[in-house]
Amino acid sequence: MSEHGAIRELVALAAADALDDKERRQVEAHLRTCADCSAEVDRYRVLASGLRRLPTPQAPPLLVERTRQQIQLQLSAATERATSPWLLGFLALLSWTLTVASWPILRMLTQGVASWLDLSFRTTWMTLLIYTMAGWAMGGAVALAVAWRRASGRRAA
Amino acid sequence: MSPLAGETEAARLRRGDPGAFEELLARYQHRLYRYLLRFVRDGALAEDLFQQSWLRVVQRISQYDPRKNFEAWLFSVARNLAIDHLRRYRPESLDEPLPGDSFGEAAEPSRAARLAAGGPSALDRVLERERSEKLDAALGSLPVMYREVLSLRFEEEMKIEEIAGVLSVPLSTAKTRLRRGLEHLRQALEAHGSEEHWA
Repeated sequence: MSEHGAIRELVALAAADALDDKERRQVEAHLRTCADCSAEVDRYRVLASGLRRLPTPQAPPLLVERTRQQIQLQLSAATERATSPWLLGFLALLSWTLTVASWPILRMLTQGVASWLDLSFRTTWMTLLIYTMAGWAMGGAVALAVAWRRASGRRAA
Repeated sequence: MSPLAGETEAARLRRGDPGAFEELLARYQHRLYRYLLRFVRDGALAEDLFQQSWLRVVQRISQYDPRKNFEAWLFSVARNLAIDHLRRYRPESLDEPLPGDSFGEAAEPSRAARLAAGGPSALDRVLERERSEKLDAALGSLPVMYREVLSLRFEEEMKIEEIAGVLSVPLSTAKTRLRRGLEHLRQALEAHGSEEHWA
């Protein structure tokens, strides 16, 4: 291909400012001596300028608002998902601590201080086990109720 | 366009900051909508894809590399969704001009053309709008592969390297599409005796 032919392939890209440095230097050198290619670049530049001036269609405000709401819901759900394991872990630990901590108080209230001296493995630890399980069952029921209420809220939104 | 445009907000969005999304939406809402409208030439579909694109951005923000251009990533997300849709429902539109896109016969001005920019006088405004309508119609008559590259280069002001990134093609392919897009656009305008009016 002649130099003229090769440069002709680049004139549209030159008008679009899409040439690399080497190509741009080649085109500029050629345009200094070729009125035909120079006029061709000008024609493409006019076209490029027209494309740059095309009006920008605006995103409808209702669409933007709808999108915003949808995304906020998505982000809230994601945040909830991210914090839930930590929160559950913390609540489980708290629940366990409270159960263990409240056990001596319960013993004291139900059987008196002397019961502290009762080291019968079966009596003491079986009661503690039942007491713990009852506490955890109650916590589970509350967690289920909260989850159900949140799910209802999301469905309503 | 700042080279860091959107990157800071995107990094904040990755950390789950809802305010960052608001800022990204405010910054890119019109540009993303325009790109999608140019791509699919259908307002309702562009709106649907607009919503899907933002949802996808939020869902996949963890996959975004903050060292890279957020804008190019955003447009490539939208493009992939648009291509998936066209492939599924209008596969012919990916290669050929869409049915009904007969340049020069559009009796009703396009949505984009109706929003023509103002000029110094009433006559100038009318002429400018007429030119925009013709150019918009000519652009719409091109196959989507040329339409999108012209929109990304001249409306979104993306560099050719960024365009290649959005299209996921080699730089040489992006350049070829840009050159052919301009050539086809010029031919479309010349075929209707419009090109000389662009001076």
